[in-house]
Amino acid sequence: MRFELLLPRSLPEALEMKKTHGEKAGVLAGGTDLLVLLKDQKLKAEVVMSLSGIRELNFIRDEKERGVTLGALATHGSVAASPIIRQQFPDLAEACFQVSCVQIQNLGTVGGNLCNASPAADAAPPLLLADAILILASTRGERSVSIHDFFLAPRQTVLKPDEILKEIFIPEVSGRRGATYLKLGRRRAMEIAIVGVGVAVHLNGSDQVASKCRIALGSVAPTPLRARKAEGILTGQEITDQLIEEAAEVAAKEASPISDIRGGAEYRLDMIRVLCRRAARAALARAQGKQVEV
Amino acid sequence: MKIPVRLKVNGEIYDVVIAPYRTLVDVLREEIRLIGTKKGCDVGDCGACTVLLDGKPVNACLILAATVQDAEILTIEGLAANGKLHPLQEAFIKEGAVQCGFCVPGILMSLKALLDTNPTPTLEETKWAMAGNLCRCTGYTKMFKAVETATRRT
Repeated sequence: MRFELLLPRSLPEALEMKKTHGEKAGVLAGGTDLLVLLKDQKLKAEVVMSLSGIRELNFIRDEKERGVTLGALATHGSVAASPIIRQQFPDLAEACFQVSCVQIQNLGTVGGNLCNASPAADAAPPLLLADAILILASTRGERSVSIHDFFLAPRQTVLKPDEILKEIFIPEVSGRRGATYLKLGRRRAMEIAIVGVGVAVHLNGSDQVASKCRIALGSVAPTPLRARKAEGILTGQEITDQLIEEAAEVAAKEASPISDIRGGAEYRLDMIRVLCRRAARAALARAQGKQVEV
Repeated sequence: MKIPVRLKVNGEIYDVVIAPYRTLVDVLREEIRLIGTKKGCDVGDCGACTVLLDGKPVNACLILAATVQDAEILTIEGLAANGKLHPLQEAFIKEGAVQCGFCVPGILMSLKALLDTNPTPTLEETKWAMAGNLCRCTGYTKMFKAVETATRRT
């Protein structure tokens, strides 16, 4: 592992550097993915630009009435512990709390988790559920990209060579919403998800009819994905156990898992069904105002 | 090309000149010669290199030393204060919680961070705080006992 290290002290300085070095410059946030890849020589970088000196990127901001913004350097640990996130997006807090272990949560950032573009990124499903907007910055200006359009393939995103992820904006949710993220691993800590499932249920009026529903899956396709057909099944109808069952079946059909060291494709399909059912029940109960531990 | 880096470790300032890609664990051990912090897997899986960065436990093998020049770093050498062992260290000795000892510096740093924010953790909370630290002697039980002993005393 050998490279030149850039230590910008401000965002404009970082953007100038990224413009100069483009693809050659690996962007270092928490380092829990990038440094491991560089050490294993799975990735080569002539230049590494550390964002650690840019304090303006390390924040979690309550935008009142509008939503919540996470700076690119907000760590999994700080997001999991944030009262704003725990209250408004408990599924995101749950996902961040299930990342690896305390040490990794204190280093790894949610922004880095997204830019690394692993299909197993724990932070991705909750942010898909919440229709998060990613703010990408370059010397040319800023652009907003929906998280639904951000991932292209394993380790590939729409980030241009001169861009960096600056912020993640999570829009305010109106009305009653319940959500959860469930992660399947062989053990509680130090795990990469075999399957991750997030479900959000929005209620408007009736306690049993979802006005809107979101289902997001991790580790079962080349990118984190939404199970849109399954969402459709749970929307606008009275949610019964049978309907949840049906939605879980359809969600599994929307996935395209591979077999790897962590689990077989068939097992993953089966586990999508199981986790979908559990997550949907918990999300509904939370939307109804019940306290549910998952 | 080497670069000058200033680190604050256990309250002392250290000025070193290092290659920019060197990790904190290597710089602590090889430049500053604080070898209490151990290097195990070098990829963030084992926790042997755990140090506290501004009070929070982190893997020193996943940090470039040049990127933490503004931070307070605490290593196992800084755990005892004024010639007196930390209650966790005393409890580890009392309960015989150390076997080969390789994982212990990292584990003590993880546990110190736990007790700093949660002085009377439950067994589950202790286990979670240590989940990123592997003990290959598999001697966890006596460590849990030692935490109990240490927290009863403080």
